[in-house]
Amino acid sequence: MNLIALSLKGLRRDLRASDVRALFMALALAVAATTMIGFFLDRLDRGLTRQAGQLLGGDLVLEQGQAFDDGLRQELRQAGLTLSDQVDLVSMVSQGDAFQPAGLKVVDDHYPLYGQVRVDRGDGIEGLAHGPPPGSAWIAPRLAQLLGAEIGDSVQVGSLALTITGLIDREPDQQAGFAGLTPRIMLNVQDLDATGLVRPGSRIEYELLAAGSPAAIDSLDSRLDALREAGVEIRDVRVDRPSLGRSLDRAQKYLSLAGLAAVLLAGVAVAMATRRYVDRHLDTAALLRCFGASQRQLGQLFAWQLAWLGLAAAIVGALLGLAGQAVLLSLLTRFLPLELPAPGGMPWLMGVLTALAVLVGFAGPTLLRLKRVSALKVLRRELDPIPASGWLVVAFASLVFGALLWLYSGDLVLSAGLLLGGLVALIVLWGIGQLLLNLLLAVLARLPQRGLSSRAWQLGGRQLARRRQASLGQLLAFSLTFAAMAIIALVRGDLLTTWQAQLPTDTPNYFAINIQPQERDGVESLIDSAADSGSGLYPMVRGRLTAIDGEPPRQQVPADHQTDGALRRDLNLTWRAALPEGNRITAGEWFDAGTDTASDGAVPISVEEELAGRLGLSLGDELTFTIGSDSITGRITSLRHLDWESFQPNFFIIFPPGALDDFGHSYITSFHLAEGDNDMLATMVQRYPGVSVLNVEALLEQVRGILGQVTRAIEFVLGFVLLAGISVLYAALTASRPARAHEGALLRVFGAGNRTLARMQWAEFALLGFASGLLGAALAETAALGIYGWLGLEPRMHWLMLIVMPVLGAGVVGGIGFLLSRGTRRQAPMESLRLLGET
Amino acid sequence: MSYSSNDQQTRILYANELGKRVTSGERELVILESLALDVDRGESVAIVGSSGAGKSTLLGLLAGLDAPSSGELEMFGQSLSTLDEDGRAALRAGRVGFVFQNFQLLPTLTAIENVMLPLELSPRQDVAGKSRQCLERVGLGARLDHLPKQLSGGEQQRVAVARAFVTEPDLVFADEPTGNLDEATGKRIIDLLFDLNRESGTTLILVTHDMSLARRCDRCLKLEGGALHEVVQRQGVEA
Ligand SMILES: Nc1ncnc2c1ncn2[C@@H]1O[C@H](COP(=O)(O)OP(=O)(O)OP(=O)(O)O)[C@@H](O)[C@H]1O
Ligand SMILES: [Mg+2]
Repeated sequence: MNLIALSLKGLRRDLRASDVRALFMALALAVAATTMIGFFLDRLDRGLTRQAGQLLGGDLVLEQGQAFDDGLRQELRQAGLTLSDQVDLVSMVSQGDAFQPAGLKVVDDHYPLYGQVRVDRGDGIEGLAHGPPPGSAWIAPRLAQLLGAEIGDSVQVGSLALTITGLIDREPDQQAGFAGLTPRIMLNVQDLDATGLVRPGSRIEYELLAAGSPAAIDSLDSRLDALREAGVEIRDVRVDRPSLGRSLDRAQKYLSLAGLAAVLLAGVAVAMATRRYVDRHLDTAALLRCFGASQRQLGQLFAWQLAWLGLAAAIVGALLGLAGQAVLLSLLTRFLPLELPAPGGMPWLMGVLTALAVLVGFAGPTLLRLKRVSALKVLRRELDPIPASGWLVVAFASLVFGALLWLYSGDLVLSAGLLLGGLVALIVLWGIGQLLLNLLLAVLARLPQRGLSSRAWQLGGRQLARRRQASLGQLLAFSLTFAAMAIIALVRGDLLTTWQAQLPTDTPNYFAINIQPQERDGVESLIDSAADSGSGLYPMVRGRLTAIDGEPPRQQVPADHQTDGALRRDLNLTWRAALPEGNRITAGEWFDAGTDTASDGAVPISVEEELAGRLGLSLGDELTFTIGSDSITGRITSLRHLDWESFQPNFFIIFPPGALDDFGHSYITSFHLAEGDNDMLATMVQRYPGVSVLNVEALLEQVRGILGQVTRAIEFVLGFVLLAGISVLYAALTASRPARAHEGALLRVFGAGNRTLARMQWAEFALLGFASGLLGAALAETAALGIYGWLGLEPRMHWLMLIVMPVLGAGVVGGIGFLLSRGTRRQAPMESLRLLGET
Repeated sequence: MSYSSNDQQTRILYANELGKRVTSGERELVILESLALDVDRGESVAIVGSSGAGKSTLLGLLAGLDAPSSGELEMFGQSLSTLDEDGRAALRAGRVGFVFQNFQLLPTLTAIENVMLPLELSPRQDVAGKSRQCLERVGLGARLDHLPKQLSGGEQQRVAVARAFVTEPDLVFADEPTGNLDEATGKRIIDLLFDLNRESGTTLILVTHDMSLARRCDRCLKLEGGALHEVVQRQGVEA
């Protein structure tokens, strides 16, 4: 017997069967979801890394006080990196009688490695992929204003006169930090020597910017460590990604979650369809046994049949997934570089693997029944092999699903937790389901039988309760389906709300720094007069962490954070009486006014929790900061969580008021200014020339833009999951249609009219949908507790869901069921019975 | 409706020029043609015929479970062709019992639940009690809570019979009601049917191969070539 040929033939005959179609659809759906989200996340991740590289100026930025030697350049090039040299220094520039300090950015021909410089060369703003040519300079509009210069004027830089040929609107890498806050002037590296500014003793920063693949950078890790040891400051795109991080991290987790939900839904559909598939093939299997097929051959025959089906579904699903990710990406490309890397091979592999896992996990144990069928079954129907124990099926499927969960999330604890929770939930659901069915029977027995419609309702309910096993199976499956749909919808809502709350319309779009104490009141009233909102002024003292508990920090800090930026740079310290808005104490207590020194005289300080985590700090540790030539020691009395995406001045370390009085300080503030309100800025610049005003509108816009686009991607995925859920319901109901049609036809024989049948079936489906909706809502609420923690969202109850879901469930299941059973209500009973193969 | 004769009171089933054709693929198959039948209230009629003659098809038509391709059909004095599917069902409700050749029990319901089903369609008292009684009468008092799968073919058949007469119908159609039964059990079922026939005047239309059953009927008709022919009763029938 040629099993492969036989299996193909069997499958072809089977293609008309609703269960085979449902199987195919569910598998294709699972593959489509995973490949779509897989492809998308893969490319999104790489795209975002690229963008982060753009903000840094390169994937890797080395910085030191002297020029880099060619040996190092050679090494980096050999690793596959593209290089660009840049020199930063601060110098006076002049035009006529006007002198201004300016931040010089000296760039070579490779600048910028990523993105474009937006510059106005006289005919409006344009994007250029190069810096100014030799002999010319591009300057910030503010510098032009201060100097009273225009395009075409010449500007004196050191001993060289350059022609101003452009006004810089935006540099691709302008957000490098608050360093060099003097207004920008950009010139070509070939003019540098002629300026005569490079002299021994001048403060110059040399930067070597490099672009390349993460793999190329990985290969340099040990070399980079050695450079760090040698005092080279290194910014690395793998570490120093912009603070968008949190939101996008959540979005990515959400998408993974949605993919898993789709897989779970598909699994449920596969399990439902497999039952019917097996029931339908029991007779075939028994007959084949009669003709002498061995158990092995039978097993192989059906395994082949499903393997073909799985393969076809995987291909169709993967193609669908590829199309889907293209849609998702098209929603995002406005904010991502267009030359995204091509889709990798990994998602394909994962897609096929998922199809296989779903097939084996959700269909496997049930299929074993076909193999165990006995030849005698042809003679005696009661010899159906015992149906695979429901629990075995559930346990096996859960195990496979748990493995998938782990594979996707990479989080063993979470996967195991969800899995265990899921199993417990299933057992509880099963118990509740039993209880509900018993309750239904008891209530129905007590109800008076009055009128046709109430009788039809009762009959429907009774039939539901009597088909106990099938009804329980459907109840569980539908509850799970509704729960998966609800979670994805809930999380979406809360995610978007969080994002909207995070960046309200009056989010500060300007920072003003370097405000001297004597300027404080003036600047504050100026800002108050024009700004919609402001953070208030924070004093800022720059100090370096020089001891932890009296020891050099390196001896105290965990090995993998020895080179942490916080140890190599000055940190911004502030003092403040009240906890800043948007900060949250996560350990210890905020210092109260009045008790700002401990009994032993130690100064209490509050430390940001992530920094504390990196440096291994805990409550009670004493930190010593060196500020100028003095130092101050504080004891950690609280750890704080703060929102880095808030566009507020944020501080790692906060002292109580008074503690830093002896140290020199300036003030920083952020505020929101309506678009076009430039008068106030001009006044500020004129009146307080030392104050630097930073426009972060562009960054803000970018963050908002990305969140907006990601929101659309999330909506798309939500739609996909909801659609998947509905099709699972549809498939499951289709699979149970023959049994219901049989019953309908018989009731017709007994004299039941259309209205009775319709009401009865509607009642049955609506009850099922109502109960599933209720249980699904409860399940979703429970699961949300864990999932919200994982996403870093505040858990909250959704009471409305407990009302909406049952009603929605009754409507959806009732509606689909009603539509599906319409056909049987129209047919003559003899015809229905014959079509069912029952006469 | 015509009141021209007292047929109205005695006639329960009437067919004239009845035809049934089906198209399977491109070929048309004529199963019944110009068939005539007249059954009075309380009569018992046996229909015999070779396999594939169309007996089950005819029974389905007579009970209004299927629509004829041509001809007239009346049940309880109502023309079935003027009624839609719904109307025919309403006409049957509580008054017609049907035993299918292959039983047609619902596999997910127990024996007694299967029997209760027709009773539950109309408001009645003591549905469970009546159903249990019926099952006891066919000898299945001990198997009430078994699923069809757990019953033998003959036992399933008896459940089907119990289900057909649990509503105390006026008219019972039975397709091979003793086909799967041994002689003794078969006799018990036959006795049951004829008791019913005698006690409550239930009209019986039976399809059978069993001559002993056919002989006990008032009339025996043979289906052949798509039409019914009266079978000349052999000697000794009256005895
Ligand atoms: N809807 C249909 N489509 C095609 N053929 C049909 C249809 N209904 C009945 N037939 C055919 O009509 C013939 C009569 O069928 P029927 O079941 O009435 O026979 P029967 O006399 O009951 O036979 P048996 O004694 O074997 O039960 C058969 O050949 C059957 O295949
Ligand atoms: Mg037949």
